[in-house]
Amino acid sequence: MGHHQLTSEAERRGLHGLIRNGLSRRTLAIIVAAVVLLVIAGWLIYRLRDPSVALGPQRSVETINPKMGVHTRLTDEVEPWKIKRTLEMVREMGAPWIVEYFPWAYIEPRKGQYNWNHTDEVIQHANRQGLTVIARLGYVPEWARPKETTPLYLGEERFADFGSFAAEFVARYAGQVEYVILWNEPNLALEWGYEAVDPAKYVEMLRVVYPMIKAANPQVQVLAGALAPTLAPPGSEWGMNDLDYLQRMYDGGAADYFDILAIHAYGWYSEPDEPAAADVVNYRRSELLREVMVRNGDGHKPAMITEGGWNDHPRWTRAVRPGQRIAYTVRAYEIALEEWPWMEAVAFWAFRYPWDAKSYQDYFTFVDTEFEPKPIYEEVQRYSQGRYAQETRP
Amino acid sequence: MSGAARSTGWRRSLSRPWLWAALVAALTLAAALLAWAGGPEQITRLFVRHDGTWAAMQARGTWRVGLDPSFPPFEMLDEAGNPVGYDVDLARRIAETWGLDVEIVALGFDSLLDAVQAGRIDSVVSALPYDPRVTREIAYSSPYFEAGVRLAVRAGSPITGVAGLDGTAVAVEWGSMSDMVGRRLQREGSALELVPYASADEAAAALADDPAIDALLADNVTLRQAQGQGAAVIAAGPALESNAYVIASARQATVLHENIEQALATLRAGGVLDELEDRWFGAAASSP
Repeated sequence: MGHHQLTSEAERRGLHGLIRNGLSRRTLAIIVAAVVLLVIAGWLIYRLRDPSVALGPQRSVETINPKMGVHTRLTDEVEPWKIKRTLEMVREMGAPWIVEYFPWAYIEPRKGQYNWNHTDEVIQHANRQGLTVIARLGYVPEWARPKETTPLYLGEERFADFGSFAAEFVARYAGQVEYVILWNEPNLALEWGYEAVDPAKYVEMLRVVYPMIKAANPQVQVLAGALAPTLAPPGSEWGMNDLDYLQRMYDGGAADYFDILAIHAYGWYSEPDEPAAADVVNYRRSELLREVMVRNGDGHKPAMITEGGWNDHPRWTRAVRPGQRIAYTVRAYEIALEEWPWMEAVAFWAFRYPWDAKSYQDYFTFVDTEFEPKPIYEEVQRYSQGRYAQETRP
Repeated sequence: MSGAARSTGWRRSLSRPWLWAALVAALTLAAALLAWAGGPEQITRLFVRHDGTWAAMQARGTWRVGLDPSFPPFEMLDEAGNPVGYDVDLARRIAETWGLDVEIVALGFDSLLDAVQAGRIDSVVSALPYDPRVTREIAYSSPYFEAGVRLAVRAGSPITGVAGLDGTAVAVEWGSMSDMVGRRLQREGSALELVPYASADEAAAALADDPAIDALLADNVTLRQAQGQGAAVIAAGPALESNAYVIASARQATVLHENIEQALATLRAGGVLDELEDRWFGAAASSP
């Protein structure tokens, strides 16, 4: 009895009571006003927390070498001010070109549903800094691949889906992005979804995707290749020699389905003037890839280095001393400008990582994660300003 | 209380639904714990500390240590192909305190932590810098050697730290982390002149031999090597950019981790770490 009385009292005083007994107009007005105030406060808090940063004035890159570029790593950079600062520093270094990765899986996580927020942020800031964006496309969403495959696996039945995504991309960024790279290092099993590498299948992908891109935006230039420089022997399960792979691409009819050859040009421990040779991985291996293009009647097309450079890790076997890295990098930009009229851009890996890899990878970067410029950044900047070598070089 | 009253109390308790709900919840929780842990033995392990790595070491009689023998004087191969160096000696001295032998496993530097996580080795002792980002799977010891960037001067120099660098000529390896620190000091207002050299060794030699050079910015490995080769140069102030070498083990190897810490403390207190440093680098010049 007592328990029942308590419950009834609570009900009379509580929400049940209010509902049962009806709300007075005054009470109702207070509740509505409180809800409205809460909504406004929530919206204000959201706006205040919105991390977007102003694009700022239109800028342009000043440099003595218009072919200079870097591969940025903004894919995992979530803070807009860091995106902006990265691109400002690229401009200030004197590099007009950037390569940036735009993973398909991040942008179209469900078929037909796109999230362009991060991509918009990167491209708008890059454009505002006066940088030309070369967009690398790849990384397959879960819905577009069988279970237990990696995001680097793309089945033939999904080429058209990849093409649809690429077409959406180039249509959305018409006038802002004029270069796209289709896939990355398809001559490595790792980058080919741990399948046996297959130039014919890669060409088939180009054959499907290229016309879809051109239909969506005829101005866009399609880059293909982006092959890993490797001396893998014939039959290797890990990859295929890049020179052989490129020839196999031409044999498969690739020439009609790309506009520019993307090249990866790592120097490892060799200086950039070391002559090219089929059995050596060095910077001038780019010339051998160029020879394959010319031999196959594609000499009218340009090439772009979309990855490359040197590493100055103290313990990595393919690294050089920090001073060598500076000298080699500057010389490599010079070679592209002075000796390679067919080379349109040289984008070295990698401008900055969002966080330390804590491995030799950190020694590829030009600025550290906190945006502190490494000496190589300042020396490349001096080069772009025509002040290199005399002031600080030993 | 009479038996009848006690019986009535029980019945009243049994009639309370919350008691039944609590009982069912407890049984469900126990069943879930059993299923998750994989059996009663595993549940026991959850509550009684067990370190499989340490137990395996005791059974084997060895501490399996991974290192990349390409970084003298910490680790390299002697003429017979045997691993030698500061880290090899350090591992042996630690293992001695446990009554174990050391089994060296030579691996590439970038695969050392993977090898720990995969259980192929028990620990890494390989001039490994502390990585604050990789701490979920890896447990690090306290530092046993600070390899970061230091300011060095000739013995007897009036310079005692970065505050005294205005108007001085400071040798650096061009493009290195030391060069980066020097440029940072300039940006922060220090009126020092950086004098670049092609290698850290040349920069260190310049401080020792060239009177026009007042100071050196170099990593502590270079500095200690220069000292060991007879250069009368000393560190001025603490490391300007830390790069502490530590021993890494798997996070779940809790007993091993504790024992490494204890052994390091014992060796440090007993002067063994200084002894190893002098052995592999040579004795340093004394402070002014």
